[in-house]
Amino acid sequence: MRLALMVWIALVGPGLAQSNTLPSSQPHPPPEIQSQPSPGFSFATRILPILTHAGCNAGACHGAATGQGGFKLSLLGYDPESDYQAITRELGGRRVELGAPDRSLILRKPTRQLDHEGGRRIQLDSEAYRDLLAWIQAGTPYGSRNLRVIRIKVSPAELLLLKRGQSYPLQVHAYLSDGSVEDVTGQTLYSSYDDGLVEVDRAGVITARRPGVTAVMIRYLGQVAAVRAGAPYQDREHSFRTPPAANFIDELTQAEWRRLRLTASSPADVTTLFRRLHLDIAGRLPTPAEIRQFQAQPSRERSRGQATVVDQLLGSPDFVDFWTAKLGDWLLLNSKKLGDRGARSYHEWLRRQVAGNVGLDRVAYELLTAQGEATENGPVNFHRFASDPRDQSEFVGQALLGTRVACARCHNHPFDRWTMEDYHRFAAYFARTGFDKDRLVQRPTGEVQHPKTGKDLDPRPLGGLDQTAEPSADRRVALARWVIAPDNPFFARAMVNRVWKELMGRGLVEPADDLRPSNPASIPGLLDALAARFVEDGYDLRRLIRLIASSSTYALSSQANAVNRLDDRYFSRSYPKPLSAQVLADAIAQATGVPDEFPGYTVGTRAVTLLDPQVPSYSLDVYGRCPRTTPCDPAVTPGGGLAQALHLVNGPAINAKAPATIERLMKQTTTDRARVEELYLRVVGRPPTNRELRHWEQCLSRAASKQDELEDLLWALLNSREFAFNH
Amino acid sequence: MNHDSERSGLRCDGWSRRDFLHLGVISGLGFSLADLFRCTAGADQSPTGQDLSCILIWLDGGPSHLEMFDPKPEAPLEIRGEFNAIGTRVDGIQICEHLPRTAGMMREIALIRSLTHELGNHDTGSHYLLTGHRPAPAVPYPSLGSVMAREAGLLKAIPPYIAIPDAVPAAGAGYLSGAFAPFAAGGDATKASNKVRDLDLPSGITFDRMARRRSMQQQLDAFSRQVEESAATRSRDAFYEQAYRLMTSSEAKAAFDLGREPQSIRARYGGQRIGTGCLLARRLIEAGARFVTVVDHGWDMHQQIFKAMPDAFFQGSGKLPALDMAYAALLGDLKERGLLDTTLVVMMGEFGRTPKINNAAGRDHWPRAGSVLFSGGGVRGGQLIGATDAHGETPAERPVRPEDIAYSILKLLGVDPDKEYMAPNGRPLKIVAGGSFIRELV
Repeated sequence: MRLALMVWIALVGPGLAQSNTLPSSQPHPPPEIQSQPSPGFSFATRILPILTHAGCNAGACHGAATGQGGFKLSLLGYDPESDYQAITRELGGRRVELGAPDRSLILRKPTRQLDHEGGRRIQLDSEAYRDLLAWIQAGTPYGSRNLRVIRIKVSPAELLLLKRGQSYPLQVHAYLSDGSVEDVTGQTLYSSYDDGLVEVDRAGVITARRPGVTAVMIRYLGQVAAVRAGAPYQDREHSFRTPPAANFIDELTQAEWRRLRLTASSPADVTTLFRRLHLDIAGRLPTPAEIRQFQAQPSRERSRGQATVVDQLLGSPDFVDFWTAKLGDWLLLNSKKLGDRGARSYHEWLRRQVAGNVGLDRVAYELLTAQGEATENGPVNFHRFASDPRDQSEFVGQALLGTRVACARCHNHPFDRWTMEDYHRFAAYFARTGFDKDRLVQRPTGEVQHPKTGKDLDPRPLGGLDQTAEPSADRRVALARWVIAPDNPFFARAMVNRVWKELMGRGLVEPADDLRPSNPASIPGLLDALAARFVEDGYDLRRLIRLIASSSTYALSSQANAVNRLDDRYFSRSYPKPLSAQVLADAIAQATGVPDEFPGYTVGTRAVTLLDPQVPSYSLDVYGRCPRTTPCDPAVTPGGGLAQALHLVNGPAINAKAPATIERLMKQTTTDRARVEELYLRVVGRPPTNRELRHWEQCLSRAASKQDELEDLLWALLNSREFAFNH
Repeated sequence: MNHDSERSGLRCDGWSRRDFLHLGVISGLGFSLADLFRCTAGADQSPTGQDLSCILIWLDGGPSHLEMFDPKPEAPLEIRGEFNAIGTRVDGIQICEHLPRTAGMMREIALIRSLTHELGNHDTGSHYLLTGHRPAPAVPYPSLGSVMAREAGLLKAIPPYIAIPDAVPAAGAGYLSGAFAPFAAGGDATKASNKVRDLDLPSGITFDRMARRRSMQQQLDAFSRQVEESAATRSRDAFYEQAYRLMTSSEAKAAFDLGREPQSIRARYGGQRIGTGCLLARRLIEAGARFVTVVDHGWDMHQQIFKAMPDAFFQGSGKLPALDMAYAALLGDLKERGLLDTTLVVMMGEFGRTPKINNAAGRDHWPRAGSVLFSGGGVRGGQLIGATDAHGETPAERPVRPEDIAYSILKLLGVDPDKEYMAPNGRPLKIVAGGSFIRELV
C-alpha cells in the first residue's frame, strides 16, 4: 500500500535529544538501489540531462518555441536528435570546437566566460563542465540511438520530516532500456508545489519550512514522479478524539490526521450541517419551516439524521436541477456555440440522465458515441465543442478524464508523461467526426498527423495500448469503451474528484481537472478508494454523494482550532464555500420571498434551472456565473468582485425586494422577536442567539420606523459573511 | 477612538459620515486589502519610474485606414475614394481632410500605418488586438486592461480598469480573476440622466441610512463567528471595502460625473458619445484609473462610407468630425494639464477596410492593413512608422503585428510583457507571446 511507504525521518543528533521522540515508526533508510551504469554511451541520456539540469532548455530560455539568442533546443530535451543538430551542426559548428574543445560556445557561454543573457548556469570546475568537455574532446559522439529511460524511481516515495527546518536528500534512479540503472539525483529537476511549505534545492535536498505536506515534482528525461513531503502540523505527539467513523472515508482521513498530527475540528452543530447539506446537494437554503421541523425532533434523532436528510435531498427535484446545472458547467453547455435548439436538447437529455440516475459511465459512453441530429439527440452536442480534432480531444481530456494534454500538442508535456505522439494519437479518435449542418457525420476518411513527421497516426488511448479495430468502424466507440472500462485510470478518479470538490470545497487533486502522476492527491489512498467504490457502485452519482455527505469528515465544523488552522487540504475541518452565482441569486429570492424574472422564463424560475449563461441577467454576471467557454473553477473565479459588492449594496438585487418582504413580515408577525427570528431563519438558516436577539430587539424598540429598521436588518443579513458562504 | 466598543455595544443608529469612513480603516480591512492585492509590488513602474496610465480609444467595427490615416491621393478613384488628403503639422504626413484638428496635433502622434494580420471577422480580430493573442478555444486570454489592473492592483478608490460605456467581449479578464474585469461606467454619458451602475445609493436611502446598514453588516459579522476568516472572506471583505470607498470617495464618484466639467471643456470634446467618452476617460485617469477603454461603435461601414464618415444624418454629424474633435481635444487637454507624459493614448480598431470600394459604396473587412495611433506616455510624436503599398493593400515596409502592438502598449506602461501567468489549462503563458517592442515609438 502506498501509505506504508511513508518514511519517518528522525535526524535528532545526540546533543539535541528531545523529549518528544517519535512514535513507533522509527526511521528506516530507503532500500539501497545498486547503480549499474550503462556501458553504452548516449547523447540523449548523458549530455542532455546536464543541459536540462542547468536550465538551458527551459521554456523561458533556449527551450522556448522560438529559442533564445538564435539557439533553440527542444523543451526539456524531448527531441534529442534535433538538439544534437543544433549543438553540433548549426552556427558553422562554433558551438562545439573540436580543435579547441574548451573554446566551444556550449562551454564558454554557460560558464559566463562569454557574455550570456541567461547568466552563469554551469561552474567552471564542476562535474557538469568536465562531462561536457570530455564529450567534446571525444568528438561529440551521439552514441546509441536506442538507449532511453523507461522509468525513474525516487526514494523515499514519501517523506515526512520530524519538524520544520529539517532537511533530507532525495535519491533518484533511472532505469534504462538496456537494463542498466543509474543514479541521476544530480541531473534531475525538482520543484515544490508550495515552496513556502517545503523547499527543494537543485541537488534534491528537501527542507520543511512550515507544518504541512505538499508534493515535490520530479522530472528526468520525460519521466515524471512526485514525492509528498513535509512536516507534521505539530511537533508533539498528540491524541485527540475523532467522531466515530461513518464509512471508509473517515478511516482514511483520520489515519492521515494522525500521521500528520492534525487535530480535527469538532462536529458542526446540526443546524449548520442542515444548511450545508441543503446548499451542497439541492443548491438551495432550507426554509424556516424545514428548519423548525428539523429542530423539533429530539436531539438524538437530529444528530442521527444526517443520512436521512441526505436521502431526502437526493430524492428531491431540486437535486436534479442543481446537478444538471453542474453537469452543464462541466460539459460547457452553451447555446452560443450549440444554438438554442441544440442547447435545449442537450440540457433536457442531461436532466433525464440525472433524474433517472443513469450511471456516469453510461452518460460518458453516450456522449462519446452519440450520433444523429444535435437538435434532437442531446449528447451529439458534446462533439460541437470544436471542429478541430485536437481541440476536441483536449476538451474531452479535461472534461471526462481530468487530464490536461494541451501542452503535448507542440512539444512533449513538461509536467506529464505525454509525448507529442500520445497527444496526436488521442486526437485521432475525433479525426473523422464532423457536422453537416446539425447532423453529426462520420466520414470514411480523416487523419491526424504528427506535426514533426507528417505521418498519419492511428488512434491510441492516453497511456493505453494500441487498439485494433476495423478500419471502417467508428473510432469513438473504441475510445468510449476504454474510458468506461473499470480499470481506466482517469475517468472514475476525475469524476470522484469533481464531486468531492463540490461537497468538500477542495478537490483531493487540485486543480480538479489536472490529474497526473506529478500532481498527487492530498490523500492518495482516499482518491483510490473512492474511485474503486464508485466503479463498484455502477458510477452512481447519488450513491457517491451519499457516501461523502454521510461521512463524519463532511460533518465537521468549519471552525478551526489552533492546530488545523493551516490545514487547507486534509479536510480536518470543513472549508467554507462561497455561494455560486445561481445559488446566490436563488437564495436571495427565496429569503426575501420575491422571485426573480429572467427573459423568456416564467416569473419565479430558479436561476439554477436556466438553460445556460446566455440567459441575460446582470445579477448573475456580476455574481460570476460560469461563462462555460472554458472549464470554470469556482475557487479561482469567485465572482465579479467590486461590481458584485456594489450591486449587493446599492443595486436592485436586494434593495428592490426588501420593502415587500418586510411589509409582509409586519403583517404575518406581531412581535419584534418573531420578526428577527424569522429573518435569521430565512437568510442564515439558524435562529438568532440570545445576544443577537437582545441586540436587534433593542434596536427595533428604539427605531423611528420598524419597517425601515427591519429592511436594514434584512439588507445587512443578506450582505453578511455568514449568508455569503456555505460554512 | 472607541468605535470598537460602540460596535460591539448597542449603538443602532446615528453614524456620521466620518464614522462611516473610519469603519473601513478600523476594521482592519486595510491590511487585508493590501494582502489580497499585493501583486502590486514592483509591477507598476514604467521605465521612467512613474505610474503610467492608458486611454484606449477602440473604434469598433474596423475603421477604414484609407479614409482616415492612410490616404492614397495618387491611387485610382475606386481605391482613393471621395476624400482629399490634407497636410498636418508634420511635414510629409498627410491624413484625411475630415480630420483637421487631429492634423493639428500630429506632433504628438506616432502614426503606425502598417498594422497587419489575418483575422478578418469582428470577434477574432477584436480579440487579437485587445489581448495580443489569436483567440483559442481552450484559453480565453485577458485583455491588456485586465493585465494592467492585475499588475497595478486594486488599492485606490477608483477601479483600475474601466470601460466606457461598456467593454466589448474581448476586453474582459479572460482567464484572470473576475476582479480584473473592466468596471463598466455604463449608460450614455451624453445624457443628463446617465448613471454609473450601482454607484449611487438606492433611491430613498439616505447616506446616514446606508451608514447604519454598513454598521449593521459589520455588527452581524462581528456577532457571528460562523465563517472562519480565510482568503475568500478577506477578498470578499476587501471588495465591500472598495465599494464603500468608491461610494464614499467624493473624488472618485465625482470623476464619473461629467456635470462637473465646465461647459467650455465639454464643448471642446464635442457632444457625441465619443467626445463625452474621452472626457470621462480623462477625468477617470486624473482620479487614478490606470486603463480606460473608450468604445466607439459604428465603424463597420460596408455601405455609403463617404456619407457615414463625414455627415451621417446631417452635414458634419458623421463619425469623423466627432472623432476628430474628441481625439484632438483629449490630446490637447491632457497636454495642457501636464498629463500627456504619463498617459498613453492609443487609438485603433480590429482591422482596416478593403482598398477597393464595393458596389454599395462601402468597404469590407481588410485585416492585412490598418493604422494605429500612439500618443503620450513617452511616445515620440510627429512620426510615421511603417507604410502600406500604393493601394493600401498590405504593408510595404515595417509590418507591425497585433502582438507587437500589445507588447509595446504594456512595455510603455511599465508592465513586463514577457512575464508568465498560469493559464487554467495549467500551462504557463506569457502575457504577450511572440511580439516585440516597436522601438521607433520612443
